[in-house]
Amino acid sequence: MIPHLVPLEFSRVQSYVKGFLEKEMTRIGLMTSISGNEIVLLLLDPVSSRSELVWTVLNDKNYSSLAGQIPQLHWFERSIKDMFDLTPLNHPRLRSNFIQNAFDSNLIPLSNDNEKDSGNSQRNFRFMKVFGEGIYEVPVGPVHAGIIEPGHFRLSCFGEYIQNLELRFGFLHRGLEKNILRMPLQKMCFAAEAASSDTACANALAHAMAIESILQIEVSKQDALCRNAALELERAAMHINDIGGMALDLGCLSVATTLSRLRGTVLGLAEQLTGSRLIRGYIKVGGVYFRPKPNFRELKKTIEDIEQEFTCIVNWFLENAQVLERLSQVGKVSHNLAVDFGFVGVVARASGIDYDVRKNFTTPSFPSDVHKVAHEKDGDCLARTRVRTYELVNSLEILRFLFSELNEVNFECNQKSFLPDKLPTNSIAFGIVESFRGELIHFIKTDDEGKIERYAIKDPSFNNWTGMAICARGNLLADFPVCNKSFALSYSGHDL
Amino acid sequence: MLRLLNHIFKTGCKSQKEFFPNLPEYAQGLPCLNDSAQCKSGCDECVSVCPTNAIEHTDSKIKLDLGACINCSLCIETCPTGAIQKSLSTKTACVKREQLILPEVSKIQEEPNQKGLFQKSLSVRVVSTGCSACDLEIGAAFNPIFDASRFGVNFVASPRTADALLVTGPCPKGMQDALLRTYEAMPGPKLVIACGTCAISGGVHKNGYADANGLESLLKIDVYIPGCPPHPWSIIHGLSTAMKLKGS
Repeated sequence: MIPHLVPLEFSRVQSYVKGFLEKEMTRIGLMTSISGNEIVLLLLDPVSSRSELVWTVLNDKNYSSLAGQIPQLHWFERSIKDMFDLTPLNHPRLRSNFIQNAFDSNLIPLSNDNEKDSGNSQRNFRFMKVFGEGIYEVPVGPVHAGIIEPGHFRLSCFGEYIQNLELRFGFLHRGLEKNILRMPLQKMCFAAEAASSDTACANALAHAMAIESILQIEVSKQDALCRNAALELERAAMHINDIGGMALDLGCLSVATTLSRLRGTVLGLAEQLTGSRLIRGYIKVGGVYFRPKPNFRELKKTIEDIEQEFTCIVNWFLENAQVLERLSQVGKVSHNLAVDFGFVGVVARASGIDYDVRKNFTTPSFPSDVHKVAHEKDGDCLARTRVRTYELVNSLEILRFLFSELNEVNFECNQKSFLPDKLPTNSIAFGIVESFRGELIHFIKTDDEGKIERYAIKDPSFNNWTGMAICARGNLLADFPVCNKSFALSYSGHDL
Repeated sequence: MLRLLNHIFKTGCKSQKEFFPNLPEYAQGLPCLNDSAQCKSGCDECVSVCPTNAIEHTDSKIKLDLGACINCSLCIETCPTGAIQKSLSTKTACVKREQLILPEVSKIQEEPNQKGLFQKSLSVRVVSTGCSACDLEIGAAFNPIFDASRFGVNFVASPRTADALLVTGPCPKGMQDALLRTYEAMPGPKLVIACGTCAISGGVHKNGYADANGLESLLKIDVYIPGCPPHPWSIIHGLSTAMKLKGS
């Protein structure tokens, strides 16, 4: 999509954005800088499917923080400090997101003037401490007990109750937003995919959509169907994985193993359609890489089998008294909190926000009556698990529809698309996709020569981690893993 | 509960009976060189499409580094003479970095007769430093279909009880300290397994400011498992290769 450009003086930004956010469902998709001299905010209006880009030039390396008035910006302002060394003055809690002790203190990764001494005083990461008699801290990570990515949690507890949870990330900071700029356009999708490979398909799709809207490329019907099918397969596989992970954390081992087997079946389908179990290297700018036509009737039959078995298992799981007891009223995210901090995906829909990119921004190849947006009101772990279950069942329905459509289509090997070396100059575009975690944005700005000057990625986890930190408060320490699992967020997508 | 038990009994055993089967024909496998087909002189197609510069072309001879390959299969599709082909084998793990560079200069034989220390059981501590694809595939290697536990491998939470360190991801700067401390906490003799292209060479992340160049500069690697991500059977192959080794 191409946003509507709104140049503004910095002094007017706050009132403009606040005015924009008063409309129903409006949110901020992304806040970043291009070269360290300006700040851009991507404002999204899901109701009318419109987007605006507020562009404000800064005269100084300091600006007065907007996060105090607009809470969803607080995490973005931290990242801008890390990557461009632009300091938000009076930020409520400024600390580093990615660039920490391990890095050279003069490093400003995305700034143009490398020689400047940053004197970055925030580089030593400090946790907020809770004081008082009987308060103790539990550090968790970065190397976790299970097979998951690294991240550090610092839990301050009183008795069995969590008083505060501090998050520390950046262990996986690979400098992706800078590395991607030195790659030629044709190979960029492979780096974009590696932002977070469990969302590889959604990342590749967002990348392709951004470049396609700059070049004004239309995707053929067959390719659009294939892309949608790949995205839904990824969603189905990862939702099964997350529900299975929840079952494992609750001790329902038979449910967990059955679901991990079902996930394997879905991955097998993905391999038949795309050639890769994790749908890597499939979506390209202008379409999809051609793979031989699978037998769609068989794929549809397999989806029906999965549906049947999954319903049987998950009904037992979500009716079990022990499971209900463990999940209900734990890790509550209220509706207001979700709106203020701009949560996305399953987390938002479990707190009563009816936002789904597939419905609000993109036009998928399936009719809207096949796609039902699931939402719950309670905002607790049970609501999130339920939303995930509904979504998974709906994904399987969509897949059934897509496979019967694809069966009709005459599967043709389309011609190789040749990307130009350079894009149109000074253009701005973004790709927006509903990944299985929620709204995923890839933002591109080209310079005077048509080279990509800034490539920004906003993973849904970037919005949602704050929700995890806040909702753990007041819960039992033993419920923390359940809380974490119900959010099922990505570390690598956040750290980039 | 009875419903659930009934379902499990009805499902029966779903583990694959055949060990290390080939990948299906439609899957993207790692590339291999076809000895019978000759490279066209002056053709640089594969070199130019490779996203990680894994292919070198000198004097009409191709040098292909599987340790840098992210199995995108672009080189296989663009090669006009069929000199690069798809390999569907899942037995991809090896013990020397040189074995990953095709064509192999000298065929290094695996030492099958060597009695390994970990022949009957291997406890593995996984440290993830990457994008989670390899972690998902390691998780999949332990699901009922592949069931790596039947080979005597199990995952442990504490490095104190681990025999092998299984590293995924390109080991960026932020994670290096935690990784080395995990290694130091393990009792000897111990093994290091690099799982996935990122861990072997950094993959698409190499040569950035975050030093995400893989495990090689940090620790001595005993087993290499190429692939992006490796297939669960390849991971099991890597683990069973590790079981034949002595460790240091």
